[in-house]
Amino acid sequence: MTAAVRPTPALATQALVAGYEPDLPIVRGVDLSVAAGELLVLLGPNGAGKSTLVKAIAGVVPIHGGTVSIGGRDITRLPAHRKISEGLAFVPQTENIFGTLSIHENLQIAAAVLPREKRAARIAAMYDRFPDLAVKPARLAGSLSGGQRQMLAIARALMVDPQVLILDEPSAGLSPRIVAEVFAMLTDINASGVTVVLVEQNVKAALAIASRAVILVEGKIRHEGSGESLQNDPILARLYLGTGQTMKADRS
Amino acid sequence: MNPQFIMDGLIAGALIGLGAIGVTLTYSILRFANFAHGEFLSWGAYLALAISGSIGFLSANLTKPIAPFSFGWSLPIAALLAVLLTGVLALALDAVLFGRLRSRGGAVIILVMASFGASLALRSLLEFLFTSKPAYYTKALQIAVRLGGGLRATPDQLLVLGVTLVVVIAIHLLLTRSEIGRSMRAVSENPALAGIAGIDVRRIIRFVWFIGAALACIAGIMTGLLVQIRPYLGHDLLLPLFAAAILGGIGSVPGAMIAGLIVGLSEAAAVQLVGAEWRAAVSFVILVLVLLLRPRGLFGRPA
Repeated sequence: MTAAVRPTPALATQALVAGYEPDLPIVRGVDLSVAAGELLVLLGPNGAGKSTLVKAIAGVVPIHGGTVSIGGRDITRLPAHRKISEGLAFVPQTENIFGTLSIHENLQIAAAVLPREKRAARIAAMYDRFPDLAVKPARLAGSLSGGQRQMLAIARALMVDPQVLILDEPSAGLSPRIVAEVFAMLTDINASGVTVVLVEQNVKAALAIASRAVILVEGKIRHEGSGESLQNDPILARLYLGTGQTMKADRS
Repeated sequence: MNPQFIMDGLIAGALIGLGAIGVTLTYSILRFANFAHGEFLSWGAYLALAISGSIGFLSANLTKPIAPFSFGWSLPIAALLAVLLTGVLALALDAVLFGRLRSRGGAVIILVMASFGASLALRSLLEFLFTSKPAYYTKALQIAVRLGGGLRATPDQLLVLGVTLVVVIAIHLLLTRSEIGRSMRAVSENPALAGIAGIDVRRIIRFVWFIGAALACIAGIMTGLLVQIRPYLGHDLLLPLFAAAILGGIGSVPGAMIAGLIVGLSEAAAVQLVGAEWRAAVSFVILVLVLLLRPRGLFGRPA
C-alpha cells in the first residue's frame, strides 16, 4: 500500500512567530497551508494578528521563528523585494499605491521585476484588465478615488503574474458597490489560477467567495472550515460578538 | 545698486543649489538631515587637489591652462576620479555608521547626532592631512569678460554656471525619466511599499548616497576653483545648503536649484544693501521664514 502524495501547498507557514518587537510576538506559532488555486479568507477579531501574519509573510514585519514557503521553496529570510520574484504579491490595506507617481509609473515600478522584453506587454495586459486605469495613465495616482486606488494596487500586484496574491482588507473604506466590484474581481483573479489569501473584516462578503476560511484569535489559528460552513457557524459570532448567535450582518 | 550682484549671486547660488540637491535627495530617501554633507564638498575639493597635484607631478603638460580657463587637463581628470572617490567615501560612511544605526532602528535624532560626529571627524582628518592653510588648484590670474548690462564674469565662473546647468538637467532627467529615478521617488514616498513592489531599497539608498556625494564633490571642486580650498569650505556652506533644500521643498531637485539661486542672489544683494558682515545671516533668515510660513517649501509635497 502506498501513501497518498500530498500536493505541495502554494503557500505554507510552519510555527510562524512574528511581530514588531521580538519580545512581544503578535503572531504566535501559526501553521497555515494554502493549496494552489484556493481562495483563503483570514478572519478574526481586531488585534487577532491577521494583518501582522500577512505582513510577516510578505516580509514587512520581522519573523522571529518558524518558516514561510511558496510552492515548497523556503522564503522566510528573503527581503520583501525578493519575495516577489518567488511568486508572492502583497497588497497592503492602506498606502498601497505611490500617490506622487502616475498610474503608469506605478505599473512600471512593478514591471521592473520582469525581463525587459515582457514589461510593455504585461502593462498593456493590466490596462486591458482594468480599463479605468487606461483612461488617463499619466494621472497622478494620489488623485484616484478609493475604488480606483484599490484597482491600481491590485493591478500593481498582478504585474508580476504571482502564484499567490495576499490582500489586507481590500474593502476597507470602500462603498458597498465598490466592495462588490472588488470581490468580483478577486473571484475572477482566483478563477484564473492565482491562489488568493484575503484578510477581511467584511465577514459575510468574504465568506461568500471563500473556498476556505481560517479564524485567528490572539495570534493563533483557532478554527477553520469552508466558507459556506462558517457562514452559519456560531463560533464565528462568538469570537466576533461574544454571543451565541450566527452572523447575520456585515461587520463593515 | 551695482548690477554685478546678480552675477555674483547666480554663481554663489549655482554652487549652493548643486550642494542642496545632494542634501534634498539624501533627506528625502533617508529621512534625516545629514550634517556631514558639507564635508563631502570639502573632501571632494581636497581629493581633486591631491589627484590633480599627482597628475601634474607625473606630467607637467597636463597642468598648462586650457585657454580661456585657469586650469589644465589635470583638474577635469582629477575631478572625475574625485567624484568617484567622494561617492565611495559616502558609501563607506553609510556602511560603518548610518547603515548600522538604521538597521538597529535608530531614531532620527540619533542619525542627526551621528552626522554631527561624522562631520567633525571628517573635517579634523582633512585638517590633519592638508593643514588649515588655504590651497588653490591654480594661481593663474583671470580677466573678467564683459557680458553686457554691467555684468562681468571670468571664464571659470561661466564654466561653473554651465556645468551646474548640465548637471541639474541630468539629475532632473535621471529622476523623472529613468527606472532608477522612478525607484528613488517611490522609496522617497513609501519605503515599505517600495520593497513590496519589488524595489531593492538598500540599493537605492546606496545609489542616493553616491549621487549626493558626487554632486557635493562637484560643488566643492567648483567652490575651490572660484574661491579657495579650505577644510571648512563645506562646513561654511552648510547653512545655505539646508536653507536652499528646505526652501525648494524636500525631494525637489528643481526646487533645490531654484532655491539655491534665490539664496545666492539674496546673499549677494544683502552684501550690497546692508554690508558683507550680514551675508551669513541671510540663509538663517530664509530658513526661519520658510519653516514658519511654508514648511513644505516652494515645490515640496504636503506632509
